Amino acid sequence: MTRKSAEARLLSRVLRIGLVLVVGGQILWSFRPAPGQALSQAGEQGRALYEASCSTCHGLQAEGTVNGPSLQGSGSAAVSFMLTSGRMPLAAPGDQPTRQPPKFDDEQIDAIVAYLAEIAPGGPPIPSVDTSKGSLAEGSALFLDNCSGCHSAAGVGDSVGGGQIAPNLMPATATQIGEAARIGPGLMPVFDEDNLSEQDLNSIAAYLHWLRDNGDEGGLQLGRVGAVAEGLVAFVVGLGLLFLVVRLTGSKV
Amino acid sequence: MISKRLVEGVDDRLDASSFIARNLKKVFPDHWSFMLGELALYSFILLILTGTFLAMFYVASPDQITYRGPYEPLQGRSVSLAYNSVLHLSFEVRAGLVMRQTHHWSALVFMAAIVAHMLRVFFTGAFRKPREMSWLLGVGLVVSGIGAGFTGYSLPDDLLSGVGLRIAYSIAQSIPFVGNWLASVFFGGEFPGTALLPRLLALHIFIIPLAILGLMSAHLAIVWHQTHTQFKGPGRTNETVTGTPVWPKFALKSVGLGFVTFGVLTLLGGLFQINPVWFYGPYVPYSGPSPSQPDWYAGWLEGLLRLWPNWEFTIFGVTIGELFLPAIVVPGIMFTLLAAWPFLEARFSGDRGWHNFAQKPREAPLRSGLGAAAVALMVVLFLAGSNDVLAKYLQIEVDTFNTVLRWSAFVLPVVAGVATFLVCRDLHDRPRSPIARPEAMTVRRTTAGGFEELHEPRAGAPADDEVRSP
Amino acid sequence: MTRPDRVVAGSFVVAILAAFGLFFVYLRGGQTQLEGALLFLTLGGIGVGLLVWAKRLMPQIVDETQSRHHAPVAEQDQQEAAETVMGGVDELKRRTFLSRLLVGAAGALGLAALFPIRSLGQVPGDTPFFTKWKRGSRLVDVGGNVVTTDTLNVDSFTTVFPEGSVGSADSQAVLIKVEPDLLQLPADRAEGAPEGLVCYSKVCTHAGCPLGLYLAADHELRCPCHQSTFNVLNGAKPVYGPAPRPLPQLLIEVDDDGSLVARGDFTEPVGPAFWNITDGPP
Repeated sequence: MTRKSAEARLLSRVLRIGLVLVVGGQILWSFRPAPGQALSQAGEQGRALYEASCSTCHGLQAEGTVNGPSLQGSGSAAVSFMLTSGRMPLAAPGDQPTRQPPKFDDEQIDAIVAYLAEIAPGGPPIPSVDTSKGSLAEGSALFLDNCSGCHSAAGVGDSVGGGQIAPNLMPATATQIGEAARIGPGLMPVFDEDNLSEQDLNSIAAYLHWLRDNGDEGGLQLGRVGAVAEGLVAFVVGLGLLFLVVRLTGSKV
Repeated sequence: MISKRLVEGVDDRLDASSFIARNLKKVFPDHWSFMLGELALYSFILLILTGTFLAMFYVASPDQITYRGPYEPLQGRSVSLAYNSVLHLSFEVRAGLVMRQTHHWSALVFMAAIVAHMLRVFFTGAFRKPREMSWLLGVGLVVSGIGAGFTGYSLPDDLLSGVGLRIAYSIAQSIPFVGNWLASVFFGGEFPGTALLPRLLALHIFIIPLAILGLMSAHLAIVWHQTHTQFKGPGRTNETVTGTPVWPKFALKSVGLGFVTFGVLTLLGGLFQINPVWFYGPYVPYSGPSPSQPDWYAGWLEGLLRLWPNWEFTIFGVTIGELFLPAIVVPGIMFTLLAAWPFLEARFSGDRGWHNFAQKPREAPLRSGLGAAAVALMVVLFLAGSNDVLAKYLQIEVDTFNTVLRWSAFVLPVVAGVATFLVCRDLHDRPRSPIARPEAMTVRRTTAGGFEELHEPRAGAPADDEVRSP
Repeated sequence: MTRPDRVVAGSFVVAILAAFGLFFVYLRGGQTQLEGALLFLTLGGIGVGLLVWAKRLMPQIVDETQSRHHAPVAEQDQQEAAETVMGGVDELKRRTFLSRLLVGAAGALGLAALFPIRSLGQVPGDTPFFTKWKRGSRLVDVGGNVVTTDTLNVDSFTTVFPEGSVGSADSQAVLIKVEPDLLQLPADRAEGAPEGLVCYSKVCTHAGCPLGLYLAADHELRCPCHQSTFNVLNGAKPVYGPAPRPLPQLLIEVDDDGSLVARGDFTEPVGPAFWNITDGPP
């Protein structure tokens, strides 16, 4: 081989390696962590999920877009609440967030929470709510005073205006109850530790869970909405049955 | 039991034989729609029976006690003796809850039956002379029933009914000049006052039931004496009544219906939870749950309050509170119109005849149209009173729903009224199809050899002396 | 046995059995649903039995016709009745002076009989114009704990009372914290809302219900009864619903130790209007 071809081969080899390095470096560079942070493994998984399902509305850095608010300072409690109750991700921006089967499993949710805790720190952490420590009596009193105005006396929810419905609380987990209180989702006000302490949340959650299986000694609960359902049953079942009897008993002329 | 000797013994002492014979042989028409009033009567009897049981346990005191009963979420709470007695009855007294619930369901069905009966009487014109007094007594019964219900469900002193009492206090306050005074004097001071529960009890178990008993007895006595109306039919005239003798058939049917009514009401009382006061907790003045509605028969008033605009004005220094118009004036006008109806109709139709026939609604298109309009308005008001619950279940915005209802309150009665009027007039004017009701016809051979028809009046056509109502 | 016979017999048998069932359930401690079902069978059984017996087993007399006994009242009888009644009335009226005095006495008695109504309770006096709040009253919550500037976060709310009057119906107030920049109160009212903490009467000016709903994101207080809604940023002016007047505000200030105290009573009488509300206290 001539000296010229050997040089040419070396040059081409260097150029090829250089090209690989540059292109590969670019690719690797795009996966770089946010400046100043080293991502944990969960954080990596979380980022992937976040960028796939959330970033279109909430922004790549959780800074918000025209379609969705900033998540900066919203807290892990908010992320966990929205994801575990299936309210997020929304099918379309502008939809009303309502309880649905969650789109992610617990491990994925933990990952997203961890990721957001790193790119959007601050805000209420996930509260620890233990219903076994709660007092039913205190829980019912606190619930009636603070929550029943929107969520009804038996926690089944009601329309509150502003286009929203305070939801039925029976499906909520203890943690979700605590999270909602701390973050005030939608139109809900915020209840922090000075307003409702950790023990208060334990009691309220305990009472709501107790309501799931108790309190209906009188029979069919009719949605626990009160006089509206009762009036309907009085007409349809009560007067209805008696009307049938009267039609069968009396004559038709 | 009832033996010939007993009957003769009573007759001997009271000289009652002609009275007994005449009345037991009295006939009553049998139409099914005439039995709706009985449903109300029997519901009321069950209210008295179950109410007597409840009265053995209820304590009408606002004094506080610490709850120590079996309902866990209230243990250790400070509650009134009244509330405590209702919880005790519901959870610790055997058959207490079924009695309490039966009592409350009976109240709801009592009012429903009254309304059904009232509508029947209205749309068949059975309130016309000579039965105007029965109608007036009936209006008195409607009002008394609402009063009995309101005082009754306020007795447990729970959060929901207490909010209702606050609204009643505010309604009283809105009356010019005397409002504040009346409210404060009756409640025993500024709300919540100290005197209310025992007064509610006196009204609920004594004063109002006495009024209902009196009104009902007069109502039944007049119906008995005047004999019941009946629909037109073959062989029926304005001067006679056709039906079943009271004894034994009609009486037994009625008693049977009574027992069936009791059965349906106790079925509701055992199987369907009603007014679970334990969820609401004891009344405290600083909490208000939502949804909060009164019992159904006050739902129309609730709807008025929710839909009425926020007008408040001051005339010559006197402030007319916003509640005064929808809660005092409008109901006053409504019930006055209702009571005056037989006289208004007689005046405007010029019909002052003596009517023992019940009309089919189509025979009085104007009355039926106006009645339908009134019913449509009431339906809108009832929907408005339930607006937040309906909005939740229908997944619609409650404030938008309110706007729709406000428009409906004007549009729907007009639509319903006009439609009913036109349908009634059409049905009434259209001659009945000869295929459906074959005409009685005589065919005669003429001397020329052909045949001719001789039409006889159709059975059931109005007699000549019957005036057709508007 | 014919079919109706069997139905009647069966109904009564069901009623008897259900009654025994009731007896049994009661002895075993009672159970509401069983009691209801068994009562239905007992009472309904008797009822159905009677109905079928009356309708199907008794002679089918349904078209017996009777006179209604109403003949136009005989002129003579009507005269006699009217004369009897009016005779008595005329006898009284004959003594004009005495009967007028009788009417006077009856009227006076009627008026006097109205007076015991006053005994039923207290006259309102000036109580509708005042609550228990005074200058310097400390704000406490339902548990009696003093409320400080730390108690609430932005978008939080709580129910407060004057110290010593927890649970007072007319003094109840709702304390809300908003971002201070969002408040649009006039100057004299803004002084009474330090650090974004604004306090209003909790008694709705429509019909007096407690305002239990705080829609934080919209900064609106809403009433559960008839949906009256108030904007907390501009002095609780009504923005929706039947309430005609804004909620009275409780002007508050921060004490030396951080606790919140009232500067006086509410700015207006609380609750729904009454006829002389614009006159002020007597």
